[in-house]
Amino acid sequence: MIGLLLLYGGVALLGPALSRRLGARVLFLCLVPHIATLAYLVSAWPRVAGGRSIAESHEWVPALSLGVDLRLDAFGLLMAGIISGIGVAVFFYARWYFAGRSDLGLFAGVITVFAGSMVGVVMADNLLLLYVFWELTSVTSYLLIGIDHQKGAARAAALKALLITGMGGLVMLGGFVLVGRAAGTFSLSGILATPPSGATTTVGIGLVLVGAFTKSAQVPFHSWLPGAMAAPTPVSAYLHSATMVKAGVYLIARLAPVFATVVWFWRPVVLAAGVATMLVGGYRALRETDLKLLLAYGTVSQLGLMVVLVGAGYPDLTFAGAALILAHSLFKAVLFMVVGIVDHAAHTRDLRRLHGLGRRMPLVFAVSVVAVASMVGLPAALGFLAKEAAYEALLHSGNPVVTAAVVVGSALTFAYGARFLWGAFADKPVRKEDDVALEVAAPSPAIVLPSVVLSILTLVLGVAPALGGKLVTSAATAVGRTTELPKLVLWHGFTPALGLSGLAIAVGVALFLRRGSVDRLQSRLALPAGLTTPYEHALSLLNRVADRSTGVMQNGSLPIYVGVILLTVVLLPTWRLATDGRLPSRIEFADSPVQALVALVVVAAAIGCARARRRFVAVLLLGAVGFAVAVLFIMQGAPDLALTQLLVETLALVIFVLVLRHLPEQFPRRSSRLATGLRLGVAGGVGVFVTAFAIIAAGSRTHPSAGDGLVERALPDGGGRNVVNVILTDFRAFDTVGEITVLTVAALGIIGLLLARADGGEGEEPGK
Amino acid sequence: MNVLVPLPVVLPLLAAALSLAAYGRTTLQRAIGLVTMTATCAASATLLTLVIRDGPMSADLGGWGPSIGIVLVADLFAVVMLAVSSAMVLAVLVYAIGSPATGDSAALFHPVYLVLAAGVSASFLTGDLFNLFVAFEVMLSASYVLMTLGGRAEQVRSGMTYVVVSLLASTLFITAVALVYAATGTVNLAELAVRMPDLPPFVRDSLGLLLLVVFGIKAAIFPLFFWLPDSYPTAPTPVTAIFAGLLTKVGVYAIIRTQMLLFQSDGPSPLLLSIAGATMLVGVLGAIAQDDIKRILSFHIVSQIGYMILGLGLFTVAGLAASIFYIVHHIIVKTTLFLVGGIVEQATGTGALRRLSGVATRMPVTAVLFLVPALSLAGLPPFSGFVAKLGLVEAGLAEHRHVIIGVSLLVSLLTLFSMTKIWGGAFWGTADEAAFVNAAPNRSGAPALMIAPTAVLVAASLAVALAAGPLYGVAESAAESLIDAGAYVRLVTGP
Repeated sequence: MIGLLLLYGGVALLGPALSRRLGARVLFLCLVPHIATLAYLVSAWPRVAGGRSIAESHEWVPALSLGVDLRLDAFGLLMAGIISGIGVAVFFYARWYFAGRSDLGLFAGVITVFAGSMVGVVMADNLLLLYVFWELTSVTSYLLIGIDHQKGAARAAALKALLITGMGGLVMLGGFVLVGRAAGTFSLSGILATPPSGATTTVGIGLVLVGAFTKSAQVPFHSWLPGAMAAPTPVSAYLHSATMVKAGVYLIARLAPVFATVVWFWRPVVLAAGVATMLVGGYRALRETDLKLLLAYGTVSQLGLMVVLVGAGYPDLTFAGAALILAHSLFKAVLFMVVGIVDHAAHTRDLRRLHGLGRRMPLVFAVSVVAVASMVGLPAALGFLAKEAAYEALLHSGNPVVTAAVVVGSALTFAYGARFLWGAFADKPVRKEDDVALEVAAPSPAIVLPSVVLSILTLVLGVAPALGGKLVTSAATAVGRTTELPKLVLWHGFTPALGLSGLAIAVGVALFLRRGSVDRLQSRLALPAGLTTPYEHALSLLNRVADRSTGVMQNGSLPIYVGVILLTVVLLPTWRLATDGRLPSRIEFADSPVQALVALVVVAAAIGCARARRRFVAVLLLGAVGFAVAVLFIMQGAPDLALTQLLVETLALVIFVLVLRHLPEQFPRRSSRLATGLRLGVAGGVGVFVTAFAIIAAGSRTHPSAGDGLVERALPDGGGRNVVNVILTDFRAFDTVGEITVLTVAALGIIGLLLARADGGEGEEPGK
Repeated sequence: MNVLVPLPVVLPLLAAALSLAAYGRTTLQRAIGLVTMTATCAASATLLTLVIRDGPMSADLGGWGPSIGIVLVADLFAVVMLAVSSAMVLAVLVYAIGSPATGDSAALFHPVYLVLAAGVSASFLTGDLFNLFVAFEVMLSASYVLMTLGGRAEQVRSGMTYVVVSLLASTLFITAVALVYAATGTVNLAELAVRMPDLPPFVRDSLGLLLLVVFGIKAAIFPLFFWLPDSYPTAPTPVTAIFAGLLTKVGVYAIIRTQMLLFQSDGPSPLLLSIAGATMLVGVLGAIAQDDIKRILSFHIVSQIGYMILGLGLFTVAGLAASIFYIVHHIIVKTTLFLVGGIVEQATGTGALRRLSGVATRMPVTAVLFLVPALSLAGLPPFSGFVAKLGLVEAGLAEHRHVIIGVSLLVSLLTLFSMTKIWGGAFWGTADEAAFVNAAPNRSGAPALMIAPTAVLVAASLAVALAAGPLYGVAESAAESLIDAGAYVRLVTGP
């Protein structure tokens, strides 16, 4: 299995490299991993039929329980088959859709990574690995939606999809780790076999559901999916109807049989989200005039239905859900491909402008009829079998409200299905300037071929239920861990389920026929245009908060920066010193009166420096502080140290003077008393803090100081009477090397600045 | 083989002197730099393998013993940092040589750059608090010069902020060293580890907090980070890249080293975790508010320091291992991103998102070199940043720190958002050939010597992700040896 994933990766790398030479034909190369996957799935079928599975494991980061643990069962096989099978159709279609373009390298690479990641999602048996592939599909989706990145709308839509699904993904990661910790394993099959329970699990599963909802465009996270229609049609057909959006459904289906009972809120939340999504999607699909958006909302609606079916966790509903997943992939891919063909031919997707295309492209019309028939659940199409199974199961184990909602949803589906066919193909009056039919060219056979094949598949599976039934049954068995499943049957007899089908269709027909009234009602109920969505609201709030907080904190004022740093220095340790700090009982102030005097000079010079108006005076007084400290060193018997201190002070003075040349002579006048008070407070606080801390620290010593050892060993081992000398040149010579380096570099820096000035310093005066 | 231990410091320092002697002969300076840094990388890599195989080593410089002389300690944490940092120094050196506008033309670049390398190595290796101060000074003085190299007005101005704040930090550092010495009578880290527990708790805690503030300024943690986004973006690209990759991480290293060795806490530290959360948040919000590539990236440095502190704040092996892995990942990825930002600036003359468009169309190779580290930085799988983030999430949830983990995941989303800001603003959009004034006529739009080191670093970050298993094992061993302060003491002072 890992070989397949690597194959996708390899082709993804190869594609961009060859795209210039191959042009759009590079997409043929991208068919290779799909075909390999299909071949593998066929060969693996005998081993996974009837609820068994194949597993393989590779190590990645064992310390974090992140391993490449793959497992294929019949449900995974169904999904992988959809991913690679629809992949073949869409990639083949895309080769003609993009005919003549030579910049497909990135597209080919990214969509192949996407396909590989999808296969990874449905084969991953490690929750963390599943997350890896899951996020990869989000990122590749971002890049693919933005493939026409010259358009601002495409960029915005790509970002929206990424942020919403990415947010869901991160929430889900948190959930996975919580569930994995509660279960003691990150193995999906392990967790499902012995499910954890308790508060952590409940929270964790709730977070995982958020991730699944965002990915599968469930209300209230659905709004990114219609936006994603900014992508080229092959991307919409593949990612945003057939595969990626089903990842959430897939995950819910996996978890439902176990966690629908373990987690108390599972059924209410999942069913509510599914029902709401189904109805909102269907309702909105009836309003759209762009065929692609109509389909997008249709997809939202269908995803809601899938979540209702697989989310309840009952085997017969799961069975119906699996059938619907298969049927939906087949018909929705066809419909999207049809929209792309229409768009290419007529240069519009607006159903108010299109007319008469049914006569001009009969084959395209025919495949669309088959696909819509499957979507709305008319007999002889696969969708009918799925719908029937769904009604049967709902009547058997669903609750009446949900069942009623599904009937309403199906009626809406019929209505927008009919609207799609009518909008794209029917002869209808249009305004003269909108008449596009005259320019329409017949599509090439090659671009229609994939739709024809998928439509034939829909019909074949629809009239011969046994063919697809085995796969769907096995898939449902693998998920639900039960073999007591219904079968896909073409004719149940006159059952209540058939009645519900009929009812939905009748209402749907009525909705379509009365479309004028429906339109008027919807316009009246519609929210005013230009209303900001919660997403836009959140985004602008985020930008505002970011601007505001950064403006406050990053204000560019050096005095404020220094002030905050000093305040932190004082407050953080003081808080601890103040809680139970004590001064030592005996404090020696000075060794001699002269020492006290020099100390006073230091203090006075420091105060003078702070009070100075002119910069030059301040610099000199600062120097005085340094020189006075050097005197203190001399008095302690360290002339070498004093010499170093003098050198450093001198160097500092030189640098200061260099900088001063570019600054005004005087400090800016302090404006407010408050500012002065603050400065005084901070400076005084630091002084008091350091003094107190020094006294306390020195007073709490219990060990002998290293200094004693230094003095002791200076003469016998270091061969010098001047202890400081021995320290500098021998005991701690490494420090000295460092300090010499510092001095050298500082000197070099000064030279560098002077040279830059001498060269004219590249224009303007610094410091202005 | 203890003679190896000082080499990563001594080699660049000697070479700096040679390079200075070759003042004005750029080719010779380049040769000296490349040869030395290659040798330093080899020495660091050898140290790493030796320490992994035989355990930590120490070098007693001058043979005076720990309380009199200076000891270098090459434990696993130190040599991991050493190996990564010397590789970065080499890669950025190649990039600087290859970059036509902002490269190594100034005669002072090479010697000072080598001094910086020596300072960074010394900071990792030293087992002595005062010597750490010296190493910091060596590193910082070199950084002052590098930052103002060329002497443009804007550079000198933002250099001021940098220099003043750094000097303040140094003053506080030396004050802290003095207070530590006053309280314990030693500056040797191993001896300090022995003596610290004997101090009254409030003295010990206050010293710990003071050192946290001191190193926190260098590491740019909240609320001490302001200087960084103001000063980094104005320096020449190679300088910014190496600063971004290494300097703040030296601060984080010092925080981890001192907190683990001297002030280890029994359980998660609410203070450190709060600092971590605040640092992450303000950093990423700042990044969102910017519209210049280098400025966005600079704010992200701050944000990601928060993640490193988060792992430390848990005070568990898992947390520390995650932090160490995060640091290694971050150094590589962050350096790479700045290098890519420099390539874009080199080609277009600007890093402002408003003026950039269509870089992915004109320079697709560069676009890929940006995309991989950008996604990695945002913690997206399957890149190294994801493994690092996952490590932190697992370690944090193991300690039931749900809030901070929630914050870290939110920040991860915001990081992704600000990365898409660069991607959407600069790389996507219509490519106007006239905007790419200095772009080389190839698919990367840059000279080979700029692209090659960048590509090597991207490959390195991919390798980190691929080999995350064994590397995480190393991070865990390093974390275990940090938790066991006694082992460090025994290594230095003898059994």
